[in-house]
Amino acid sequence: MKLLVVEDESKMADYVRQGLMEAGFIVDLARNGLDGHMMAMNERYDLIILDVMLSGMDGWRILQAMRASGVQVPVLFLTARSSVDDRVRGLELGADDYLTKPFAFSELLARVRTLLRRGNAPTHHDRIQIADLELDLARRRATRAGRRINLTNKEFALLELLARRRSEVLPRSLIASQIWDMNFASDTNVIDVAIRRLRAKIDDDFEPKLIQTVRGMGYTLDIPDEG
Amino acid sequence: MRDRFTLFLRPASLALRVTTLVGIAMTVVFLVFNWISVRSLERHFAEMDQDELGVVSASVIRALGEVHSGADETALYHAVRGHHGVYYYVADAAGNTLYAAAGGPDLSRLVAHNDPVDLAGKREMTIWQEDGKFYRGTAVRVEGNAKGGGRTYVVAVAMNIGAHLAFLGSFRRMQWWAASIVMSIAILVAWLAVQWGHHPIRRTNAEIRKISSSKLDLRLNPADVPIELEELVASFNDMLARIEDGFVRLANFSADIAHELRTPVTNLTTQTEVALGQPRSAGEYREVLYSNLEELGRMSRMISDMLFLAQTENDRGNLRLTDVDLGELVKGVFEYFEAWAEDRRVSLQLLGLAGPVRADREMLLRALSNLVSNAIRHTPLDAAVTVKLVQDMSITTVTIENPGERIPAEVLPRLFNRFYRVDPSRQRKDAGAGLGLAIVKSIVEAHGGFVQVRSDDNSTIFTIVLPSPRGRDAV
Repeated sequence: MKLLVVEDESKMADYVRQGLMEAGFIVDLARNGLDGHMMAMNERYDLIILDVMLSGMDGWRILQAMRASGVQVPVLFLTARSSVDDRVRGLELGADDYLTKPFAFSELLARVRTLLRRGNAPTHHDRIQIADLELDLARRRATRAGRRINLTNKEFALLELLARRRSEVLPRSLIASQIWDMNFASDTNVIDVAIRRLRAKIDDDFEPKLIQTVRGMGYTLDIPDEG
Repeated sequence: MRDRFTLFLRPASLALRVTTLVGIAMTVVFLVFNWISVRSLERHFAEMDQDELGVVSASVIRALGEVHSGADETALYHAVRGHHGVYYYVADAAGNTLYAAAGGPDLSRLVAHNDPVDLAGKREMTIWQEDGKFYRGTAVRVEGNAKGGGRTYVVAVAMNIGAHLAFLGSFRRMQWWAASIVMSIAILVAWLAVQWGHHPIRRTNAEIRKISSSKLDLRLNPADVPIELEELVASFNDMLARIEDGFVRLANFSADIAHELRTPVTNLTTQTEVALGQPRSAGEYREVLYSNLEELGRMSRMISDMLFLAQTENDRGNLRLTDVDLGELVKGVFEYFEAWAEDRRVSLQLLGLAGPVRADREMLLRALSNLVSNAIRHTPLDAAVTVKLVQDMSITTVTIENPGERIPAEVLPRLFNRFYRVDPSRQRKDAGAGLGLAIVKSIVEAHGGFVQVRSDDNSTIFTIVLPSPRGRDAV
């Protein structure tokens, strides 16, 4: 997967590139609007991360130029202003998602993966299996080591989210938004409680432990690395 | 171009308006007055002339009698002594001229054109012009009686009214002159009056000029201005109060931000410096980074919250209004907090029903979620948070009640202030940045509602009051 990051704040650009590269993407970096425009028009990318405030040519114009010439690559735009106008404008111009600064890198990564997945045909499995955990998505049943586990609707939805996005770090805000439709940061530890309850059902009595806490970032579900 | 355009569109000046109106009013008054006085003068002259002609015709008729009786053949010639500018004419029934005064108008024409009446003075008299002179006259038929020898005569009398007309003419001219002068004076006075009348406005303006951003506490005294300006001054003072309020809040806001950011920045700096002070294991570095990350996460949440607050307060038109089912919204909030509340052995219950309200769903959800999480946090073990919905014609009320300690009365009004925490010592771990209730307030107020809190020994109740859709329509 090849991404283009157009960002003129150099420290931020470097870290975003590094983070994305370490997450397994190939990343090109444009440090001003004109370069960004040129690269977006001439190369093929799977996704473009576009800052709105750029020197040379702002993100809106790059987006506009791309869409006008039929470049349909998904665009995630970054804005320092969270006004509704900005969001509406971006989405009207054909952006696919936005993030308001300050944001957490894990949030950016999660959004990037969501957008990339949206492009491909969504994997509509009926079953997901991770180690000895099995999810029957059609019947909304979970079993671990052959034992049926009783989950509430929300617990199942949470498990399904983690399982579908196996090995991705899901920030708490993304979980809150996807499972409970709460699209704002909460200063409670609601998500931690929900995860703890889920763990009690699917991990406590079993090995290996699948749900992992990534400190400061969120949760992920995967078979833990050996060692 | 635009300047010229606005010049044309600009409303006429007050001085021009008042002066023009006074001018028009004066002109109308003068025209009416002029018409009435000229008309009454004309009527007066007409009556005078009529009287005189009546006397003349009577003398002529008497003279006719004398001629007929033979007493005085020449009586007709000096029948009208002493009347100047009066002419008469006598004819018999067949139309033969018996007498025509010399020098006057041709009265035979008057007789021919007007059917003579029986007695003078009982009809409108004719006015005509002849040889550049104006005459008023009439023709009378005199039926012969014993005195007149049974014959019928036609008598025409006329008088030169040139003097009257000349008088009327000079009267009119004089009136026009007088009117022009009086009107000029009146308009000048009106203009001066307007200037004088505007003096308080200019003075008020000078006072307003004195108000700079550092003197926003200045107010105009409504008692110092004429009564017409009192409301304007009051409105201006109100506006000033709002600006001052906003200004003060903005200043406080900046101070708050600086203050609130200082603590976490100090933490981060200290932590990082100490960590770098000596070589450590990778595990220890990781620990520091994690800790920094948590601190930064809090800062970033706080910044987002403050931006949200600033936006909600400054841009109230930005709501995406839809019909929101409050019951469904509260259930969603409960579902979210259920596990957390259960963990704290707090139960959640919803009472009452409400129809849909016009609201920004996302924002209202945020407000409710803040209040519910706040309530759960302050509820003792094994107690319940109760959300109650009540709707009537004009308002929809949501109350969020939790049992718990009394919040001191003096603290209650400050609860909705930014960064206010009841217990400053426990500001970090559990409670947020102290923006939750400020956000609730700004959201509810953006919806045209208000939020209240009351607290007694047993419980604390937050109340959100929103205008009901029907109530709002009626406004």
